[in-house]
Amino acid sequence: MQWLQNPNSSVYLNHRWHAVASWTWDAQDETCGICRMAFDGCCPDCKLPGDDCPLIWGACNHAFHLHCILKWVNSQTSQAHCPMCRREWQFKE
Amino acid sequence: MSSGGKTENRSETLSSMAEPAPAAADLGILDALGDAAVDEILSGYAGFCSAADALISASDDLSASANLVAHARTLCKHGLLPLVRDYFLRALEESFEKSGSLKFWQHFEPYSDISLLESKSIIQDDEVQQVLCNALEEISFKKRHQEKCLSVLVHALQLFEVETSQGKHDAEADRIFLFTKYQLMVSSILMASLPQCFPKILHWYFKRRLEEISTMMDDGIDSLDKDDMDIDEKSTRVKAGEMDIDEGHHQGKILDEVVKNIGKVVRDLRGLGFTSMTEDAYASAIFLLLKAKVHSLAGDDFRSSILGAVKGWIQAVPLRFFKALLSYLGDSYDYDSPSSGLKSPLASRPSSCFHGIDAHSEGLVRWQLRLEYFAYETLQDLRIAKLFEIIVDYPDSAPAIEDLKQCLEYTGQHSKLVKSFISALRYRLLTAGASTNDILHQYVSTIKALRTIDPAGIFLEAVGEPIREYLRGRKDTIKCIVTMLTDGSGGSPDGTGNAGDSLLEELNRDEESQENSVFEDGFNSDDKQAWENAASWEPDPVEADPLKGSRNQRKVDILGMIVGIIGSKDQLVNEYRVMLAEKLLNKSDYDIDSEIRTLELLKIHFGESSMLKCEIMLNDLIDSKRTNSNIKATINQNSQTSADFEDNGLSLDNLDSTIISSNFWPPIQEETFNLPEPVDQLLSDYARRYNEIKTPRKLLWKKNIGTVKLELQFEDREMQFTVAPLHAAIIMQFQDQKSWTSKNLANAMGVPVDVLNRKISFWISKGILAESVESDSNDRIFSLMESGADASRNGGNTECFAEPLAGDEEGENSVASSEDQLRKEMTVYEKYIIGMLTNFGSMALDRIHNTLKMFCVADPPYDKSLQQLQSFLSGLVVEEKLELRDGMFCLKK
Repeated sequence: MQWLQNPNSSVYLNHRWHAVASWTWDAQDETCGICRMAFDGCCPDCKLPGDDCPLIWGACNHAFHLHCILKWVNSQTSQAHCPMCRREWQFKE
Repeated sequence: MSSGGKTENRSETLSSMAEPAPAAADLGILDALGDAAVDEILSGYAGFCSAADALISASDDLSASANLVAHARTLCKHGLLPLVRDYFLRALEESFEKSGSLKFWQHFEPYSDISLLESKSIIQDDEVQQVLCNALEEISFKKRHQEKCLSVLVHALQLFEVETSQGKHDAEADRIFLFTKYQLMVSSILMASLPQCFPKILHWYFKRRLEEISTMMDDGIDSLDKDDMDIDEKSTRVKAGEMDIDEGHHQGKILDEVVKNIGKVVRDLRGLGFTSMTEDAYASAIFLLLKAKVHSLAGDDFRSSILGAVKGWIQAVPLRFFKALLSYLGDSYDYDSPSSGLKSPLASRPSSCFHGIDAHSEGLVRWQLRLEYFAYETLQDLRIAKLFEIIVDYPDSAPAIEDLKQCLEYTGQHSKLVKSFISALRYRLLTAGASTNDILHQYVSTIKALRTIDPAGIFLEAVGEPIREYLRGRKDTIKCIVTMLTDGSGGSPDGTGNAGDSLLEELNRDEESQENSVFEDGFNSDDKQAWENAASWEPDPVEADPLKGSRNQRKVDILGMIVGIIGSKDQLVNEYRVMLAEKLLNKSDYDIDSEIRTLELLKIHFGESSMLKCEIMLNDLIDSKRTNSNIKATINQNSQTSADFEDNGLSLDNLDSTIISSNFWPPIQEETFNLPEPVDQLLSDYARRYNEIKTPRKLLWKKNIGTVKLELQFEDREMQFTVAPLHAAIIMQFQDQKSWTSKNLANAMGVPVDVLNRKISFWISKGILAESVESDSNDRIFSLMESGADASRNGGNTECFAEPLAGDEEGENSVASSEDQLRKEMTVYEKYIIGMLTNFGSMALDRIHNTLKMFCVADPPYDKSLQQLQSFLSGLVVEEKLELRDGMFCLKK
């Protein structure tokens, strides 16, 4: 705790701030292209958003819920493609 | 002959009852009579008449009996037996009427207006008693004499029959016939001339006597245990009831005396045919006394059970009286009572055990049952009338409830309770003056109290309906309920925290009972248990609603009934979410233990899925705590970055944050304003660090939300505040510049002037800032009060050091209330509604509702209730977009 001091002032202020923020995924899109749920929400299989239901970006820069895209990739017999742009799906490094 | 015919006519009128010998059936006999016989008859008749008159009029002297016997015989010989009988009865009747009943009633003439006399207390207790006893004695004496005369006649007739050995005539039947007839005659004469006041006198007499006994008993009880009389009245009474019999020898004697006195009166009255009137009189006297006793015991104190005391008193006073009375009167009362058919209908005697059981004790048991029923009913009525008050002090008044329960089990008059309580509720609770909190509290108490009386909740259903109906019409019902539900930890705004405690307990209790029921279910598979359940089955009371399922499923569940007020749990959950959000956003520590507990309990009740959003909210808090400390930890790792800020005197130590998943929180109202530079820096630094830790996630600050703990230190004083960020930002502006015009300050802060003016009044009221008006422009000037002396001069309140969150004070919430949410959601439908009304002209509420339901199926589907629609439409009416005419909505022209 430190006092804010200003030579012109006769008042010293000490403050402790408890702020509120909301988090958001830094993605270009609002919703997941697969499940159509908001990125800031979670995929249909999850209950808790955020760390428990992360986003993943492909090499094509399209983002999906990790669970959604994994399901998609696993369901493809051959090479999976990005559901948005049909490019070959590669996880972004 | 003519005189004979006359008497026969008369005899026919007199003997309308079944007569053993036919009167002058054979007219042929008349022809066979010779002159001598006629003479003999005439002289015999004259002799008989004079002898009979002499015998009857002579009191206590049977000297004329020989004469009578002889003449009667003469007449009987000529087959004039009916004549003899009828004449004699007639003579008795006349005499009784003249000298008996007339005189008897004369005794009571002075008391003909007994109520008037009593009110002036002119009559002495003893006087009436004396008069009654004397009168009864006199008339009984008269009656006894007449009965003796009658037996003389009976004797004569029997002698004659034996001599002639005429038939197998049953002499005994003849005797009974005559005496019955006589008895009937006596009663009918007395009844026919009964003055109105007599039953009252009797009633009064018994009342006084019983009061005498009662006080005697009470004195006895007092002398037995004077000390703990008040402390443990109940047990004393019960004890006294048992003890009186062997302990109270000294008062036993007096009691015997009184009872003997009463017994004599009762016996005399019975002899005169007043059996039922007498019974009425003493029964009503006893009931009056019992009622008074119950009232005096019950009073307005609901903290103790009085049923035991009343029962003890019944044992001690009226039953002892009856016991003594019955044993004095002897068994004759039950067997030979001449008017057993006239017994009071209350005394329903099981005829099967008429001869089997000792009549004496059976009468006593009958009386006991009657008295107890009466006591139960009186107490029940008393308690029902006061049920509202009883429920108001519910947990304390549990004994009264328990009493009432027992009474109702006995009397079965539950419907009375329902009716009376509902009207009390309507009159006293469901009025505009009662606060919603009070109504809810009373509702919960009602549920708890009635659950004791009626575990199946059938009457509760009926009683609760008006309350629910009323509460549905109140806007703040949901809010109050949620406050009650969640207020286990924090105080409610209006300080009625105790109501909330009880509901939270209820949540707990339900949890336990649910565990129990699972446990029971496990046992139900056991055959023995199933059999026991089947054996203890009882039919539902008649009042039960057959649609509501059977008793077993109808477990009273307070929370369920509370939710029933609102109609759906969704609304309740939504309101809870809003309140939870409010609470969480204003927390400056991350302590959410009580919220987690409440949520777990609610989850059990409402299901996990409906509470999911709330769970995420709590989870956010837990995550925030972790993230917050992670971010703090990074400072220590690279201390040189933080050094940048130390110049400003601010470090990340001064900042904590709550990071929310905004999709799962209720909509949050955002206002933008400029934070002081150092704070803004701090926030962006924090956000940057978050972004480093949690890439690719980033933070969006809700600048207007949160709490700031401020310590203001002036030269001469120090103050602490917990305020909203905007307030803190305002006061921080005054650090560099001691006075601001409102315009400049608003510009610096980036908020509209009116918002600023509203907010700044907080600091003015605290005496930190002062307001003045600049002379040339109309701008207001705010300046810092640098010393306490200045502040007190301006009437500021410097005493307050710790303040509640300033935002609350102004009734502003950071979270949009569910009402606002609803309005926002409903605006989507506004154009549908306007369009509809343009096409159809005017529509009723439910038609609009149905049409919306039909057409708005996609995005967003219309899922609002009729009430919600109604409140939205009335909002539109207020905004003058619509008009409501005769229950139809139409467009405003």
